Amino acid sequence: MRELELYFGPQHLGMVGNFSITLKAEGDRVLKATANPGYLHRGFEKLMEYRTWIQNFPLVCRINVVEPDHVEMAYAMAVEKLAGIEVPERAQYVRSIYLELARVGSHLFGLWAYANMLGFDTVAQWAMYHRDLVLDLFEELTGGRVYHIYIWPGGVRRDFPKGFKDKIVTTLHSIGGCVPDYDAAFFNNAIFHKRASGIGKIDQRRARELGATGQVLRATGMKYDVRKVAPYAAYDKVEWNVPVRSDGDAYSRIWVVRDEMIESVHMIFKLLDCMPEGEVFNKPPNPFKWKIPRGEAYARCESSRGEFGAYVVSNGEDKPYRVHFRTPSYPHGLIILEKLLENANIADVGNTMISLYVVAPEIDR
Amino acid sequence: MNEGLKEKLEKAFPHAAITSMRDTDYVVTADKESVLSLLAYVKDAGFDHLTLISCVDWIDEGEFELVYILSPYMKDNEQISGNEKINLILKTRIARGNPAFQTVTHIFENAEPYERELHELFGVHFEGHKRLIPLFLERAYDIPPFRKDFDTRRYVKEVFDNIPAIQDIKA
Amino acid sequence: MAMPSILGPFKTLRFLFEKPKTLRYPFERKEPALRYRGFHLNDWEKCTGCGNCADICPNQAIEMVEIPDMEAQPGQKNERPRLDYGRCCFCGLCVDICPPGSLRLSRDYFHIHFDTKTFTFIPKDEKTEKEKFLPPDKYSILQASLAHRKQDYEGFASDLDFSLFEPERITMPELGAEERKMSFVEQVLGYDKESARKEAARCLECKLCEEACPAHLKISDYVRAIYEDKPADSLKTIFKDNPIPAICGRICMKHCETACSLSIRGEPIAIRWLKRYVADSILDYKTALELSPAQPSGKKVAIIGAGPSGLALAYFLTLQGHHAVVFDAFPGGGGMVRIGPPAYRLPLESIDKDVNHMASLGVEFNFNTRVGSDISFEDIMKKYDAVYLAIGTSQSRSTKVKNADKCMLALDFLRKSKLESGVVVGKKIVVIGGGNVAMDVARTGLRLQKMQYPDEPTEIKTVCLENGDEMPASEDEIRESKEEGIAFNPAWGPKEVRLDDGGNIAGLLCMKVKSVFDGQGRFSPSFYEDQELFLEADTIIEAIGQAPDFSFIPQNLMSTLEFTPRRKVKVDENGQTTITRVFAGGDIVNINLDAVTAIADAKVAAEGIGKIFSKKTSG
Repeated sequence: MRELELYFGPQHLGMVGNFSITLKAEGDRVLKATANPGYLHRGFEKLMEYRTWIQNFPLVCRINVVEPDHVEMAYAMAVEKLAGIEVPERAQYVRSIYLELARVGSHLFGLWAYANMLGFDTVAQWAMYHRDLVLDLFEELTGGRVYHIYIWPGGVRRDFPKGFKDKIVTTLHSIGGCVPDYDAAFFNNAIFHKRASGIGKIDQRRARELGATGQVLRATGMKYDVRKVAPYAAYDKVEWNVPVRSDGDAYSRIWVVRDEMIESVHMIFKLLDCMPEGEVFNKPPNPFKWKIPRGEAYARCESSRGEFGAYVVSNGEDKPYRVHFRTPSYPHGLIILEKLLENANIADVGNTMISLYVVAPEIDR
Repeated sequence: MNEGLKEKLEKAFPHAAITSMRDTDYVVTADKESVLSLLAYVKDAGFDHLTLISCVDWIDEGEFELVYILSPYMKDNEQISGNEKINLILKTRIARGNPAFQTVTHIFENAEPYERELHELFGVHFEGHKRLIPLFLERAYDIPPFRKDFDTRRYVKEVFDNIPAIQDIKA
Repeated sequence: MAMPSILGPFKTLRFLFEKPKTLRYPFERKEPALRYRGFHLNDWEKCTGCGNCADICPNQAIEMVEIPDMEAQPGQKNERPRLDYGRCCFCGLCVDICPPGSLRLSRDYFHIHFDTKTFTFIPKDEKTEKEKFLPPDKYSILQASLAHRKQDYEGFASDLDFSLFEPERITMPELGAEERKMSFVEQVLGYDKESARKEAARCLECKLCEEACPAHLKISDYVRAIYEDKPADSLKTIFKDNPIPAICGRICMKHCETACSLSIRGEPIAIRWLKRYVADSILDYKTALELSPAQPSGKKVAIIGAGPSGLALAYFLTLQGHHAVVFDAFPGGGGMVRIGPPAYRLPLESIDKDVNHMASLGVEFNFNTRVGSDISFEDIMKKYDAVYLAIGTSQSRSTKVKNADKCMLALDFLRKSKLESGVVVGKKIVVIGGGNVAMDVARTGLRLQKMQYPDEPTEIKTVCLENGDEMPASEDEIRESKEEGIAFNPAWGPKEVRLDDGGNIAGLLCMKVKSVFDGQGRFSPSFYEDQELFLEADTIIEAIGQAPDFSFIPQNLMSTLEFTPRRKVKVDENGQTTITRVFAGGDIVNINLDAVTAIADAKVAAEGIGKIFSKKTSG
């Protein structure tokens, strides 16, 4: 049979985001896949070297469009480590609640992408609608729907507005009430099960070798979650579980996502219950004069896709000397995807990619 | 870092300076000859998760600094040992003039795209890398764009200032 | 995880009969959140044009543009921010850095236009642009644009708890009222290095202060140098415009702090105390300044009066290579500053530090030399190439009420208590006047009482024409005086000084003030003669103002000396009076009557004198 070269993306129904894969195929079997990123390479890390520590916050959130919040968190934590800034306790709780909301919003977006790609349009619309409800919460809290620019070194930018706790609870209850519908229409749908199980299967040994984190790793059975292994914000203040599956395929990954969302909602309720009163912002120095002593720091957090890290180097100046983000989609989208697509069916390419939860801007930065 | 590992490292690699920075970040500065064996060593010692490979351009000192950040995966699927929260930041310096280093892809498979990225953005050559081809950029630049002597502002001016404003196109 | 089912999904068919969740825009709309970050609003009345928003904008979307028919004033630039919505990312950094809190974001975000130029605009709010902000009943979403916006639609606004600047000052250590009133120990203790750096770190470098300062000191530069812990650099910057920092760092009227953009909602940067910190932390100015000696020009300039203006001129002339010779009737430098501010505000050592530095540069000082009696003005005119009159207002005015000759005059009282230590006060003092000098007199009197009658009850009162809000003394002085236990009787005017049978002072009879100024705003007090107040006293001190003493100038020259309508010596743009070669500055020229304006006058005169000398040599 003849070998074909096939371009999958960036304009393709099965592709979410500006990313493409070049496939070498024989019939409907993929011989070799080459990830082809760069459509969104904006050189943020270089641009950050030209902006002051504070001016970078409106920039970093654009590294991941779907959940800008964890980027803010990683960068803020690195800056706090470097400059030795303490964060008030209430701010830690606010950050955790905010980040968990972001996780729910991001997972709903991921669910939209996955359901949409597989043709489960109803579920996709639901997920998008419910994500919008989460965005309403963000709008209320931060003034922005997508780019929140909320976490700042030393805490958060504003305290909860009046009645915000109740609003979170109401919104999450109304989303949570739809879980049975989601289950019936999607997660427990036999068609979906058939379509996703066994797709993009990776075992734990390979996942470790290839630097997997997040659902990709947790779907192979390891309870590895930065929130648990290296707790930050208020994640060690409440009890919660790390959901895992053991099959390592697309079906397991999406179930981990589902369980994680539910766990996040429960965690938010617990955090809201024990949130202390007090300050939420410990002012950093005047932004025009703020210089951070020479040094380097690596800070990481668990984004909805896996380990999100920021390596920040300071030269003693008012701007970072070098910033490098470790994004979870990077190993997932650049090598794991390539390996998993070998010998896969062409029809499963999009399925595999989206089940790996790859977000292109995170890779390109 | 557990004290044992620190001592072992110091013993096995006399050229590596271990500076404990914060409670969870450990910085190890090594000379470039011992980096590969150090990486293999710490991988065996439990630091089997290569989180990031980065590069810092210390232009005034005429050197590139390669940074390998490692942390341990869980040994057990259920139990957290406490070591997982440690970030081992392993650094080495190479000359900026003709920057070349050994690939680490044979130790950590996921180093592949990181090294490709650094090759493209900093112009560091990794010997033994099987696929050192461009990753993000669509064209080659005179100076690799993430080096400090690449002036982004000037580049932007040169490239984008020549694009006519929308009003002018209409007229 | 339940077993996957093929029938389960049919459960969702019921949604077919439910109302859609989607909003049918534009008939159904969701209100943006109260904190929404939309288009900008700027309150032009509050905006100072400081430009901090433009400096912090990460996208350079904000540019400060000059507004044609707007006038710059101290603390107000004639610039306002202009937004480019092609660049703005609505992050709100500009809101969080805005010191007056005038810049806010609104909740609307619609602008559709074919002309891209309309995306650049200068934001205002409904206060100043009524026609663009419409009430809800006139507003239509279909016309929404930057020129058609909703009223009362403020979103993301500034909050001092979350601002990017620090509105509160680092507290200056001071002696408490009970402690300080017992002696003349300096009240303000001064910043240490740590506090000075912290205070300097607050400065946003908008430079509103520099325009407000009469001598235009490069304030943000020297404050930054303090923050960077380079006091010598800071001192060099200060000395370019002000050669008496130890004096000014204590008693400056701080026009800069009034203009400081942080003062609008918080406390201004403690610019004066920072200057003092620099002057005090450097023991030897000369080494720190690293001045290179100028080529001697051979010109000699006589400076009459060693006050701030005379000292400053002497310094500036010395830098130009001219020989400055200073004459002063007092035994040391400082002029009015030497006797006026009591030692708890300005100790003599601080004055001498600045003066001695100048002497070490080659300025010749002739103290205890009164021009007119010890040396004649004609001699000076003959021997020197130019003369600078910096004589200040050295004569205290008297109320001239009945028996006023029994009272003490403010300047005599202050001079004796500071320089001579021979003044005896009574147990009941009344001070007439409501200005800063009156406060100095009252607080000095209080300290003398405490020292002379340590165990006896004493009292001290002030009387002034103005009512409480109009008192010309600074707020700090009034507050501190009250803290120390000085009683105030505002809106009372002196009628007569009553004497007892022995001819000694028994007290002051006052009458109620009707108004202080007449219809044209001129000083012309009127009284209710029938409303009287008697204040018992054994000492009365008059502190109602000072006047200059020109008696040393011979009649023929005096007749050519012109004055302005406000009774100030008239000078041209070079600081020269109507008498050739005679320049003037300080309190006899300006209406501010403070040290820093006197220095500003000296700067003008130094340039003027330099100009005349170079003209003569070249011509």
